[in-house]
Amino acid sequence: MFEWLDYDFMKRALLATSILSLSVAPVGAFLVLRRLSLAGEAMAHAIVPGIVIAFVVAGLSVFSMIVGGLIAGVSVALFSVLLANKTIIREDASLASMYLLALALGIFILSAAGSAVPLKSFLFGSILGIGDDTLMLIGATAVITLISFAFILRPLIVSTIDPVFYESQLRRPWIVGHLFMFLVVLNLLGAFKALGTLMAVGLMILPATAARYWVSTITSYLILTFALALTSSWAGLIISFYVPKVPSGPAIVLVAGGIFIISLLFGPQGFRLASQVRRTSKRSAEKKTETAKTVLIQQKRNKVL
Amino acid sequence: MLLKASQLALGYAGQPLIKSVSFQVEPGEVLAVVGHNGSGKSTLAKTLLDVIPPISGTLEWPEGKPQSIAYLGQRTEFDRRFPIRVRDLAAMGAWQRLGLFGWLKEKDQDLVEYALERTNIAHIADQPLHVLSAGQLQRALFSRAIVQNTPLILLDEPFTAIDQTTESYLLGLIDDWAAEGRAIILVLHDLSAVLKHCTKALLLGNNEALFGSPHEVLTPTNLVDYGYLSQSQVGWLETMYADQAEVKQTNMKPKVLVNV
Repeated sequence: MFEWLDYDFMKRALLATSILSLSVAPVGAFLVLRRLSLAGEAMAHAIVPGIVIAFVVAGLSVFSMIVGGLIAGVSVALFSVLLANKTIIREDASLASMYLLALALGIFILSAAGSAVPLKSFLFGSILGIGDDTLMLIGATAVITLISFAFILRPLIVSTIDPVFYESQLRRPWIVGHLFMFLVVLNLLGAFKALGTLMAVGLMILPATAARYWVSTITSYLILTFALALTSSWAGLIISFYVPKVPSGPAIVLVAGGIFIISLLFGPQGFRLASQVRRTSKRSAEKKTETAKTVLIQQKRNKVL
Repeated sequence: MLLKASQLALGYAGQPLIKSVSFQVEPGEVLAVVGHNGSGKSTLAKTLLDVIPPISGTLEWPEGKPQSIAYLGQRTEFDRRFPIRVRDLAAMGAWQRLGLFGWLKEKDQDLVEYALERTNIAHIADQPLHVLSAGQLQRALFSRAIVQNTPLILLDEPFTAIDQTTESYLLGLIDDWAAEGRAIILVLHDLSAVLKHCTKALLLGNNEALFGSPHEVLTPTNLVDYGYLSQSQVGWLETMYADQAEVKQTNMKPKVLVNV
């Protein structure tokens, strides 16, 4: 039953996704809370040309990948903000245009260079063939992310709930938002190596949206998001171990998706909330008519007496 | 004196919203800021909060600049779906005293409980924000302002989309703040509330500003001149003034303290 634990590549993959879950959970949680889920998805594709160019120029090194990915990610982010501010199109459209352009460019360069790395590992990741350098990247990302979060958690919460109030209370309010976006790109790079450009955001967003259906305080939300990300990674890896030909990235994201659907159906803030609201409003409406009736009856009685 | 603004030009360089505004705020005063949309009310608030610098003029704090200014802005960007309880929203007022890692001290915890009771929302303190009504949310935000515990409180249109009961309750709280010696700057559209609760008024409009007592500043003539009311609305206003005790003042020629 536990034969998957006998394989070294499985142990490495389990370790890598566990650390990755710890790191992407808070990032994903705040992407969801700050209404940036789709922006996160776009960024996952936007980093591709940087990684590809770094790969073609400098070969398969993690360091060049980080540099290339960060440059591409940050420039797409800045350029789409610029487009949204200076031209007629809005932020979502400018970001969509930029990431599509970036993704196409990345795959074009990769194919044209006749790369030895198959396209499939770019799209779906290669968590089962993970090397020491990638493990280091994921570990370093987790350390940087968790330390940064210790510092920015409170301002991040305040700025997410009430940005107007937040800006009124700090001297340099923009620092926190910028640092957060940097953490997003950094975590996307780690997730990209493990899950590929198509699935990288899956482990960030799905556990975070699923967790939101269960809890209503921020601490429990962050903890549950991590727990769900961890569960998805382990279950996904084990499934891909037993089902031949299934890449592990999509398997992990599919499990996360299953958890999301279960949460949606059974979580106290999912569909149950909607039906509860309907029920209570119906009940209070009934109550109102009842009270009205009683009042009428009393009035009539008063008249008679 | 808490705050002295002298010939401030406000807005964005090259295109001032207000060419020159001067006013003073004493502790215990309630200053109403009245003006049409786009007259620079929110810009004035942002300037006082140091979010944007004035184009010219000076802003002095004779008793020293307060460590922080309590601020309640318009709720257009407020996220009610964030997973946080009412009590924690109130506690956010103490955020700057906590630093990055500190926990609430007992004194601040007591202040949070007091604030929840004073705004009459102690019974919903453990509820998440998304179940609150607009009035309850505004009470929660007022409790955050109480927890901020500052000598100057800035409120930007606090009664938009709020029912009358809540409005009069919170206006009572504002009176209490003034009695405690705090200064309040209040952006408000409800002229009857201004006349009843504010000690000073600042009328903004058409790039100009007028400062003085509410009855001197908010005369029908001035309100029309500063683009706040149209001629046809003034009749109604005169009726309202007639209902007020200080009816004599309306016929006085307005004493212009600042006019540019």
